[in-house]
Amino acid sequence: MSAMALYFRLIRVAIQARMQYRADFLTGIIGVIVMNVTTVTLIGILVTRFSHLNGWSLWEVVFLYCLWLLGHSLFSLFFWHVRALEDYLVEGTFDQFLIRPASPFILFLGREVQYLGVADAIFGISGLSLAYSNLDLHWNATKWLFFGAAIIAGTLIESTLSLMIACISFWTGRSRRANNLMMQINTMVQYYPMDIFGYVFRVIVTGFIPVAFMNYYPALMLLDKLDRVGSLWWLAYMSPVVAFLLVGITSVVWRLALRRYSSSGG
Amino acid sequence: MKIFWAFARQAFHNSAVYRFEFWLRLFSIYLLMYCIYWVWKTLYTQTPGAFGVSLEQMVTYGILGMALEIFLDVGPEWYIATQVRTGAIDTDLMKPLDFHVHMLARSTGEMMFSLGILAFPSFAIGHYLFGLSLPGDVLHGLTFAVSLILSFFVFFHIGFLLGTLTVITLDIRSIAWAYYSLVAFFSGQIVPLWLFPEVLRKISSFLPFQAVYYIPISIYIKTLSGSAALKALGLQAFWAVALVFFARWAWDRVHTRLTVQGG
Repeated sequence: MSAMALYFRLIRVAIQARMQYRADFLTGIIGVIVMNVTTVTLIGILVTRFSHLNGWSLWEVVFLYCLWLLGHSLFSLFFWHVRALEDYLVEGTFDQFLIRPASPFILFLGREVQYLGVADAIFGISGLSLAYSNLDLHWNATKWLFFGAAIIAGTLIESTLSLMIACISFWTGRSRRANNLMMQINTMVQYYPMDIFGYVFRVIVTGFIPVAFMNYYPALMLLDKLDRVGSLWWLAYMSPVVAFLLVGITSVVWRLALRRYSSSGG
Repeated sequence: MKIFWAFARQAFHNSAVYRFEFWLRLFSIYLLMYCIYWVWKTLYTQTPGAFGVSLEQMVTYGILGMALEIFLDVGPEWYIATQVRTGAIDTDLMKPLDFHVHMLARSTGEMMFSLGILAFPSFAIGHYLFGLSLPGDVLHGLTFAVSLILSFFVFFHIGFLLGTLTVITLDIRSIAWAYYSLVAFFSGQIVPLWLFPEVLRKISSFLPFQAVYYIPISIYIKTLSGSAALKALGLQAFWAVALVFFARWAWDRVHTRLTVQGG
């Protein structure tokens, strides 16, 4: 069986397992939607009160948040559990992946789905549709294509960063705290246009923990705001490239981590 | 009272085990302060005077909103939820101390630990890096301290009530996110209530959450002072007392149900 086919079969099993708890599914979905509504309302209050936030109007800020949310929803659906890698290692679940006749990576990725991502997707699509009509956008085919690419890139960026940080636990046994910290930096970039922050922070979220490529940079291209970054306009097109690079780096990190694990397992 | 402090001390020691966590938490506090600092600074530079207060007051409000969370949010609901899920709650019920008082002791211990080790460095970061203003005089500082104690009391009991709910629902993870974001919203933790639209301000004035962040921070930055500050303290005290009664009543009802299930 090819890796892809195996992955999809595992995902189907994981969804069936999840579907046994329907009440939990519903409260969870409602909970996440409430959370997104309060978040956007808070930012909305600020932006309408002061008419704009550093040149970003209310609907542009909604657009930024929802663009991030769509990429995040796919991460949340399929890759949320990479953050829990340390539990897999501590509880010995990870050993099961190693003794089966298939790639441990695929077995690990297909282990779980996190249904709450559905709520993020619902909210993200509604928010983006509202923003699209309120901003009176008329995208051509190139923009739609780039929009799709940006969402996939967003998912990949968040997933690879989470996985790389989770891999720390192969060495230290603990990684969740570090991942929470990454999430916190990520949150700052999603909630507010990243150009309100200081220079050092902007460099970090562009070059070192490149979460700004999940929404800020692609939004510059999609909302025709390239002039905001002047001569760095090309960064707006870089999300897919960044995602591609991160996938490459992560696969190396994963291989190193796995070698380390099997050698210490004895 | 002696037992109360014994449990509080125990919780203090439990938290002291994780030394690495101290640095992570401090860094996380720094990031939160950094974020809110730039948000207010940007908005203020853009439209000076639109807040009704000075930039220093606004930044102080934002930074305190972030910093106070570390001391106030001790999350008794998570402890109760874990104990209920694993069944370990029965050992808690056997302890020679009323469950509600036991939980309060635990949370107080955790709060004092965070206060003891993180308060000074956080205030130093806030003051030297982001211009957090310091209390004007002793009386002002004392009023703030009293308000903060009441705020801890209110917040603890809201969490305790949520924990009580887990005896019925068995899990709070799915509602926790909605709960936390609603608390952050209506308590004015991030955006002060006076910036809210009329309707939302009305709603928040009927809820206990304003007693958690909005009142103590407003007293600190002196947008509530004199008789208004005293009135606000009274409101906090009212919520604290009301929630003690409500929490005890709710726990008693649920507690009997727990015994029946266990039997």
